[in-house]
Amino acid sequence: MARFKLYTAIFVVLMGLSTTQAVVERTGMVDFDAPGTYWTAFGVILVLSFVKATFVATYYMHLRWEPRSVTYLFLGGLFVALALTTAAAYSIL
Amino acid sequence: MSHGEAGGHDFPPTSSVKRWFVTTNHKDIGILYTITALFFLVLGGVLAMLMRVQLWSPGASVLSAGAYNQAVSAHGLLMVFWFISPFAFGFANYLVPLQIGADDLAFPRLNAMSYWAYLFSGLLFIASFFQGGTFDGGWTMYAPLNLPTYMPNIGGTTVVLALIMFIAAVTMGSVNFLTTMYRMRAEGLRMRDLPMFSMSILLMVWMMLFAFAALLAALMILAAEHLFGVTYFSAEGGTLLWTHLFWFFGHPEVYIVFFPALGIMAECFQTFTGQRIVGRKWFVLAMVLVALQSFVVWMHHMFLTGINLEIKTLFMITTIGISLPFDLMVFSLIYTMIKGRIRFTTPFLFSLGALILFIVGGITGVFLGAVVLDYEFRGTYWVVAHFHYVMVGGATGLFAGIYYWFPKMTGRMYDEFLGKVHFALYFVGFNLLYFPLFVAWETPRRVFDYAPGLTSWHQVASIGGFVLGASFLVMFYNLFVSLATGEEVGENPWEYSTTAEWVVSSPPPLENFPGKPSYSGGKLSFRDEPELTADGSGDDEPAGSPSTDGGTTTDGGLASEASETSSDPRSDGGVRTEGAATGGTGLVSDPGTATPAAAGTGTAHGGGPHADHASFWPFVVCFAGFLTFLGVSGIQSGGAYLGLTAVGGLLSAVGFVGFASESFYVPEPTVAEQWPFGGVENMKLGMWTFLASDVVLFGGFIGSYLFLRVANGWIHWHHEFVPEAHVTFPGLVNTYLLLASSFAVVLSLVAAHRNSRRGVVASLSVTWLLGVGFLINKGLEWQHLFHVSTDAFPNGWNVGTNVASSTFYLTTGLHGAHVVVGLIMLLYMIPRAWRGAYLDDDSSIEYFGLYWHFVDIVWLFLFPLFYIL
Ligand SMILES: [Cu+2]
Repeated sequence: MARFKLYTAIFVVLMGLSTTQAVVERTGMVDFDAPGTYWTAFGVILVLSFVKATFVATYYMHLRWEPRSVTYLFLGGLFVALALTTAAAYSIL
Repeated sequence: MSHGEAGGHDFPPTSSVKRWFVTTNHKDIGILYTITALFFLVLGGVLAMLMRVQLWSPGASVLSAGAYNQAVSAHGLLMVFWFISPFAFGFANYLVPLQIGADDLAFPRLNAMSYWAYLFSGLLFIASFFQGGTFDGGWTMYAPLNLPTYMPNIGGTTVVLALIMFIAAVTMGSVNFLTTMYRMRAEGLRMRDLPMFSMSILLMVWMMLFAFAALLAALMILAAEHLFGVTYFSAEGGTLLWTHLFWFFGHPEVYIVFFPALGIMAECFQTFTGQRIVGRKWFVLAMVLVALQSFVVWMHHMFLTGINLEIKTLFMITTIGISLPFDLMVFSLIYTMIKGRIRFTTPFLFSLGALILFIVGGITGVFLGAVVLDYEFRGTYWVVAHFHYVMVGGATGLFAGIYYWFPKMTGRMYDEFLGKVHFALYFVGFNLLYFPLFVAWETPRRVFDYAPGLTSWHQVASIGGFVLGASFLVMFYNLFVSLATGEEVGENPWEYSTTAEWVVSSPPPLENFPGKPSYSGGKLSFRDEPELTADGSGDDEPAGSPSTDGGTTTDGGLASEASETSSDPRSDGGVRTEGAATGGTGLVSDPGTATPAAAGTGTAHGGGPHADHASFWPFVVCFAGFLTFLGVSGIQSGGAYLGLTAVGGLLSAVGFVGFASESFYVPEPTVAEQWPFGGVENMKLGMWTFLASDVVLFGGFIGSYLFLRVANGWIHWHHEFVPEAHVTFPGLVNTYLLLASSFAVVLSLVAAHRNSRRGVVASLSVTWLLGVGFLINKGLEWQHLFHVSTDAFPNGWNVGTNVASSTFYLTTGLHGAHVVVGLIMLLYMIPRAWRGAYLDDDSSIEYFGLYWHFVDIVWLFLFPLFYIL
């Protein structure tokens, strides 16, 4: 079954990306006293999380095969959460 | 033939008490909601009267300071949460399915559950009065007043739990309404053509879905602060965090409250001026715009806090911007009156009153939206007056609704003269009460003492308060007497009404429509079922426009036959089934339904199993929830509270198992307008909608962590509050475990497709084991951290040690609780899979998978945020 192979490949990718996140930490880039490398690592690691989440939602949660509106529904929730977090954090900067 | 004999379809009539405990019918639930909301109106009103007595003269001492604070807080909370929105929910429940041409809501048992959760959350609130005093920190529950330090009473905690239970009710309702309105509309009814009231409810539930999830996050954190001693709101930046979370909910809540009123006003203006809303398209567009904008204006409640000036300015602009679409709506309503011919009935008077009050409330609100003026007015009675003009203005629209639909719900007319007396007393009393507060604006909010010079204004206000209160006696008398002796009405007592509820009898039959409602001809008509059409005894000739009574004539004498066989023909729809089964129409000639077996289970809408309308489990589950929450509120004091928690927990388990294993059939419409969710089954859409709100709940928790970390210095946080740097490994292991468990769920679907029972059982079991492994690993990690011993943390790093430990344990704890819920679902599913349940229909596994993968996704973000960065 083609889907089965696809799901397995995605599983391998997900495990690999998680390991990569830990590796980035191991290389010493997550250094609080060196803002340059810290914020780079911060960005890399979070982008990897978004990539992983997108894979899970798209394939394991079958969003790819649902009407686009379901994706918008989910993104609506995400947008609300992000708006609250960023605006609140910005208000005290 | 009794109902019990009719295919075991045991549904008691409305005169039976049992009916009201088991019903899942949307109209019954609408009535329950309405009556319960009116009860809380009276309760909140009595508290308000107490306050007005206290304020008769400055420094009076009718109430103690503590009792006054409790009265203020409870009045605000009860009116905002337990009266006004549920009141609108009552109308929504009753009318939205009728207006969109559906038989019921998509998930009738969930709807019943929503009502019982609402009722029991209110009873929980009432219980708090008897626990040494209720919540006394104001309805906005500002930190630090909401913290246990300032509110040691168990009652304060109970109120927080009551609100959590209330939000559970709201979320179930929102998911249900969204699924229903998107998936069960009559053929040809486009989203943009929804009647105004249904449109307003659609936007209301959208706002509710997201706004209440943010409040839920705030309240769960607050409950944890009371019960486990976490420190969020007492930490650096904590009070500001509360205001962000609260007002992110609180501002949309204003429109959540007001929109149904706006919908009712629009309906009443159309009906009683005989004029379609002028610029309807623009009106709807403006409502959508306001719904969206409402989420980006919350900081106008925070101009007096330490947020930076740029963002204050930005939020001033967005706030003043929101008045533009409102202006459009107001002008559209005014122009509708000018173009139409007004009939001054009671519902119209209340609608017009609501419009006037809202205009005053809106204009006075602009003062508060401007940063500089707000500095002057914040914390004064200006805010009290403005707020009441807006909120009670909204309630005025809802009272229009109760008169407008009273004939539909009861089949009898109210007394028009008494209705007008009610309106006169109401409107005069309202303005006597609230307008003087603008003049006496220098009175400080939430304090019962004020400058002696303001006394006469307050006395006028108190008199107005009593007139307003008394006006409701007229309303209750009128409605109560009319229920028994009012003039009977047919389908439609109102000329020029246009919506679908007016074409069915009053009250409507159990399953609402005589045939299949359709708008495909441009107007509402009823298509008879295919069986009827094939037989030739019915055709799909339009039943005429809603303002004629043609609608019910197409049911082939069904209704009249029903009334012969029923003790309660008006609303007991089980009878219609019998009417059909006994062969009043061409139904019996259809081979599919003519057999004796089908006669018992066939419906008036054709063959197939009959939709269920009764379940006792929603009541049981919510009663159990009530006991559990009441027990948890005092769990720290042990004793009877512990017992209560245990009993509640046990009964909950029984209730959920009963609920899950009960067979309850709900047909999904075969012909329905389902844009934009065609092809997504109801259950799936419901699950996705729920998950969208769960995103906001987790967003609230993760956002709180990020906010507090920013407030405490991102790096400082790491250096000062955390005992061990970079504990990536346990987090990585848990990431592997969860990803593998997600993969196992996917494999179980693959196995189901291959018709492998063993494969399904095996993969679900593996999912379960991996989930348990996740929890064990987390438990070990927590154990380790609890007993960490460093120079900085000699006593370990536990839940209340500092803000970092609190955010860590609570956020990962909430996630862990989600995992536990998933594992419990698996325990239910695995034995069923063993018996081969999911081989023909794997949709249950798919819905479970949606939940499980979502929990997985959340962890994908918790891992870097709490373990790496
Ligand atoms: Cu606001």
